[in-house]
Amino acid sequence: MQPFALNYARPAVETEAVTPYVYDSGLQLNVLFDGRIAASDQALLRELGTTTSTAGSKTHFDD
Amino acid sequence: MTVLILTGEEDVTADMVVVHLNASSVPVVRLDPADLTAGVALSGEYVHGSFRGHLSAGGRLVSVNGLRSVWVRRPGAPAARAAQPSAWLTEEAGQALYGMLRGSGARWMNHPDAAQRARHKPWQLRLAQRSGLPVPATLITTFPQAAREFAERFPDLVVKPVSGAHPQEPPRAVPTSRVAPDTDFGAVAYGPTLLQRRVAKRADIRLTVVGETMLAARKETPADADPEEVDVRFASSATPWLPAEIPRRTAQAVRAYLREAQLSYGALDFAEDADGTWWFLECNQSGQFGFVEVETGQPIARTIAEWLAHPSAPEEESVNGRRTVAP
Repeated sequence: MQPFALNYARPAVETEAVTPYVYDSGLQLNVLFDGRIAASDQALLRELGTTTSTAGSKTHFDD
Repeated sequence: MTVLILTGEEDVTADMVVVHLNASSVPVVRLDPADLTAGVALSGEYVHGSFRGHLSAGGRLVSVNGLRSVWVRRPGAPAARAAQPSAWLTEEAGQALYGMLRGSGARWMNHPDAAQRARHKPWQLRLAQRSGLPVPATLITTFPQAAREFAERFPDLVVKPVSGAHPQEPPRAVPTSRVAPDTDFGAVAYGPTLLQRRVAKRADIRLTVVGETMLAARKETPADADPEEVDVRFASSATPWLPAEIPRRTAQAVRAYLREAQLSYGALDFAEDADGTWWFLECNQSGQFGFVEVETGQPIARTIAEWLAHPSAPEEESVNGRRTVAP
């Protein structure tokens, strides 16, 4: 009795890999291990895919 | 006056905006409602006809009346990380936090009521129609026979979730997918099913709107693209997102859409066909924008920061304030 749309489902790709930054509550920003602001490293953001429309799909709607 | 950002710590896209607010010396308090009672605290007092409220997070204390704007980015469920979480506590914490904030007079991006309504795709489709945006023929049904008849009228169909949510246990993704003409539609009876005429697209369009500012990006569909790959989120194409011009009529219609939806932010998805028509697919009221900015260089984060930092203006309140300030 599976809904029709689920016939087209596929296993979710786990995107919650370890990220090379950690949240700094003092700065209210994520900081790379070398102290730089993660958001300033656009090449890294692109590589990690943490800003894409499917990032966080497990907890939020895809946007 | 402070900008309040409601989102998770891991939200590096929000960081892109915080960086600009910091550069402008605009005070920011960032917190995740999920941390209420475990790192985030609140207090509000309604005495002698006045209200005084405070929020505390990360060693910062902010007056609710001192908020200039609230950015509801990607907040967790209230009190989800409390020592003893429960559905009851989440409801209590949500009512307390959002109830106080609704009375603050701050500008919202986006107001929770507007956001909640705007997530409904059937509502989106109807509003898009009324706003003058082309909408591909769509059917949402639990009648298998209706699905069969729709497939006869529109043989080239896609199916997509109505809600955009992904099923869990086990975690699965449901991409927009093509439906073969001879498909058995019997399972339509087991869940509302959204079928839509496939747009033979030559590009995907992502139109990000921040207040009155519109920034469009276009991702061309490669000539040798797999015709089965219709969902750009899951496509393997390496074609970049590039800045795009917005057709004047589309811009007018999108403004009408957002005005009616009472949204100060929206990320709209379109499929561009061979004639250059932008077909409305959806409007994400909290749509991701980081990936677009990273590829196009469009100043979306800066524009959001400027909107959040802007002091409330009377003429803007007449657009937003009528609905964003709780009675």
